Amino acid sequence: MAVATMHMKIDFEQLVDRQYAPLFRFALSLSKSEADAADLTQQTLFLWAAKGHQLRDRSKAKSWLFTTLYREFLGRRRHEVRFPKVELGEVPEEEMSISPNMNTLDSGMVLEALREVEELFRTSLTLFYLEQFSYQEIADMLEVPIGTVMSRLSRGKAQLRQRLFSKEETLGNKVVSFQSEKRRESYG
Amino acid sequence: MDNREVKFILSAYRPGGQDANDPRFAEALEQTRRDPMLERWFQDSIAFDTAVTENLHAVAAPPDLRENILAGVKMSRPPLHWSHPFIKWAVAAAMILSATLGRLIWYEARPAHLAGWQGEALRTISSLVAGQSKFDAQSHSGADLIAWLKTNRGPVVERLPKNLETLESLGCKTFSWDGTPISVICFMRPDGGLIHVVTTVSTPATYRSAKAEPTFVRQGEWATATWREGDRIYMLALEGSGEQLRVYL
Repeated sequence: MAVATMHMKIDFEQLVDRQYAPLFRFALSLSKSEADAADLTQQTLFLWAAKGHQLRDRSKAKSWLFTTLYREFLGRRRHEVRFPKVELGEVPEEEMSISPNMNTLDSGMVLEALREVEELFRTSLTLFYLEQFSYQEIADMLEVPIGTVMSRLSRGKAQLRQRLFSKEETLGNKVVSFQSEKRRESYG
Repeated sequence: MDNREVKFILSAYRPGGQDANDPRFAEALEQTRRDPMLERWFQDSIAFDTAVTENLHAVAAPPDLRENILAGVKMSRPPLHWSHPFIKWAVAAAMILSATLGRLIWYEARPAHLAGWQGEALRTISSLVAGQSKFDAQSHSGADLIAWLKTNRGPVVERLPKNLETLESLGCKTFSWDGTPISVICFMRPDGGLIHVVTTVSTPATYRSAKAEPTFVRQGEWATATWREGDRIYMLALEGSGEQLRVYL
């Protein structure tokens, strides 16, 4: 009895050690403040402590945690504001080619820019960057088709590049911006 | 597939190369190999994704978050101990082991019997161990459970017997017998069994069952020790031998 309990306690602590920081970062990209992010992270791990044993496939623990955190976030958001409907139009090719100077990036700037990306795109983007979930895993977690995930990633990355680009301009950094192929072609 | 489509698809390509063998990316990747301009875009995209990933991973979580999570879970530990099939088997194994050892080691003379409140306490404990009833509060810290009992006006042990202080607790429960409030705190012993501290208040009905010095009574597989201290009456109980019980007094 004591041995079994100790094993569960150790398992849980190991899970917390592995996942609390990535979960916090994900929560931080979604929520408004560090306090909200910490609260979401705690709530997610509390839910794991209460319900995690129902998950038969232990290899899915990470996906379970991120999905649960996202649902918790959505649940809280529903009380605050309705989601604006955003059309998933095509991304202009120029936007996909904007390239901020990678040497000037720092974690604070990247996080700030990420939080400025529209929420609809931000969630997929954060799951992609933070834990490098595949498009298929993200689709499963968010319960949307694969094409939607690809669209959100494409548009989200374009927005992120734009935001970083603007921040560098504001800071007066030299920015290297690749011209689009269309422009290059027209010059050629 | 035009270049815009290639870029759209490769937006989902992870910079670590995990998707290199995914057939959904094959055509787009092949096209980048044939088109130097597209290849340059792709390399830039991978570099950008890598830089963003690295920077996001550098964001630190608050230093006290881990401890807060562990402490919070500890205090709101769900009924997972008793509902998990593995735990149920472990409890059953511990009970069988305790019972076997008890039969082998217990030679103490059998005093008459336990008082009504003590019998009720053992039934409550058996019900908890069998998973038929739930704890009111669960924590691995006996001190936390005592604090909980104080807050909830349950009869509470003034000071734990010395060797119980170091044991990890499971939970506590309050109930009443003939209108007398009773509480029980369950602890895990190092040998894998359980030990329980039952506390009640001194009333005409309970007073007679206890003296200042511990009285040892065995009932079935249970070894118990009961004593009085101030206006409180305590019973220590475990499934096993009197010798095992004496260690904790």
